[in-house]
Amino acid sequence: MQRPSMSRRGARTLGALLGLAAVCGVAAAHGGSLRDASGQELAVPTWLFLSTGGAVVGASFLMASFVTDREFVAAIHEWQRLVPAPRRVLAWTGRLVGVAGFAVVLVTGFAGPSDPLRNAAIVVVWVGWWAAFAMTTYLVGNSWPALNPFRTLTRPLAWASGGSDTTLTPDRAAWASTAFLLALVWFEVVSPLADAPRLLASAAVGYLALAAVGVLAVGHDQWFDDVDPLSRLFRSYGSVAPVQRTADGLSLRLPAMRLTDDVVTTDGGVAFVIALLWGTTYDGLVGTPGWASVARAMVSSGVPAVVLYPAALLVGFLAFHRLYWWAARTARETAPTFTDADHIARRFAPSLLAIAAGYHLAHYLVYALSLSPSLVGALSSPLNPPAARTLVLPGWLSGVGVAAVLLGHLLAIWVAHATAYDELPGRLQAIRSQYALTLAMVFYTMTSLWIVGQPAVEPPYL
Amino acid sequence: MSVETTASDSDADAAATPETEPADDPADAPRCPYCGDPFPTERLRDLHRGLNHYEDLDDSERDAYAAAYRSESEDLQSFRLRALAALVLLYFGFLMTYAVVAV
Repeated sequence: MQRPSMSRRGARTLGALLGLAAVCGVAAAHGGSLRDASGQELAVPTWLFLSTGGAVVGASFLMASFVTDREFVAAIHEWQRLVPAPRRVLAWTGRLVGVAGFAVVLVTGFAGPSDPLRNAAIVVVWVGWWAAFAMTTYLVGNSWPALNPFRTLTRPLAWASGGSDTTLTPDRAAWASTAFLLALVWFEVVSPLADAPRLLASAAVGYLALAAVGVLAVGHDQWFDDVDPLSRLFRSYGSVAPVQRTADGLSLRLPAMRLTDDVVTTDGGVAFVIALLWGTTYDGLVGTPGWASVARAMVSSGVPAVVLYPAALLVGFLAFHRLYWWAARTARETAPTFTDADHIARRFAPSLLAIAAGYHLAHYLVYALSLSPSLVGALSSPLNPPAARTLVLPGWLSGVGVAAVLLGHLLAIWVAHATAYDELPGRLQAIRSQYALTLAMVFYTMTSLWIVGQPAVEPPYL
Repeated sequence: MSVETTASDSDADAAATPETEPADDPADAPRCPYCGDPFPTERLRDLHRGLNHYEDLDDSERDAYAAAYRSESEDLQSFRLRALAALVLLYFGFLMTYAVVAV
């Protein structure tokens, strides 16, 4: 008896992919025209712009559901090639560059000019690291473990102290990391970190002190593998990237396909992914006119401004977290399957990282490019930099941001589809398990697109 | 395992309404004899056996896998028709909306 034939439906698959690209292109064009027109006259009403974005995600789910050939789906997410690389040389170069960058931030932060755009500490951290370097972690590969100056600088401490006896369970470590990440997002939003070089340099020293305490408490390996929020953040972004680090060396995969592996293994890990997604959203949300008017209304009705920002951060995180767990539980019923909701939540959480990466690109691409001359200027003479310049960018570039948000969601849909096929025995069951998750993704897309389409204003009461 | 039983399973599988919502791991759920995993329907159990334990199966179990696969393919075909209808509706719905609103 032969196994039922699983013929490759190449033509059908190709058709689905082409259709997907066409829908995506149309939506991006609409988005682009909306952004360009926002200064003069709104060509497309916001509700239509948002529902188009939501519909693109929904339609791409429907199109992905036409691809039901297990072997084809597995061939896409399992494809990989080893790339030869001088890993030892790269690691040492990374350490040197990381420590040198840290030194530049400290010296120019404390002794450099106070104009933020001429100060090397400010532009290295915000333009060079938080915007441009973070982009490389999901567009190329995660080089933060080599570069991380906190990791390099605390290593002697780990040797001197001889390691730590206490170890956290992976779940607790991930929850601790989630809490640290939310605290970082809050600190970044409410403090003038992007304008005050002295404060930024002090924060860098503070982070080194935190890392030292962490290394003494749980050991160097566990702190940087599990707890340190920045390491976990870049590792999460790195799993979207095409270049992956494996036991045999560097390996090349199709973008985002590593997300179909067991990237998240604990409930705390799920919470971290949600916090990352919500953190980027929150960062954009507080810069919208809508938030400004809500915040003014709340403060005038008696809510202290100090409480408002952390409360909104927590409430939004809980809402995103709840929504995701609702989707994971609902998936058990719609599929149907007896697989634990925990297991489902962990398997599908990585797909959200593609969304977070797309949103980061949308948020920072224009920022990084327009401020890149400041970075070059400040680095060429750190203590006496030339007058700050910004690059004038073509208007269509903001359309790239909208396209990045949509592309992130399309990748997420495909990753979730591939994961469902990997996880569940039935082909129809795998498609049905995606109903609730697709709804959650439509909600996340519409939220992100709404923020991307809003004019940026200064958040009030900061 | 005959084709008829898998055909009737497909109905249970297709109608995932709240009334037929699976209880948590009931004792009488069909289980995989090789790894003990429970499944909501026999069709899913047969598919799982074929995908994960194909080398260990006897002929009747392999037949059950083939039958389950075929019966699922039929359901997939009808799902595809509905998905296509939804896509067409979505496309023309937006086309009309853009024609009316965004001129």
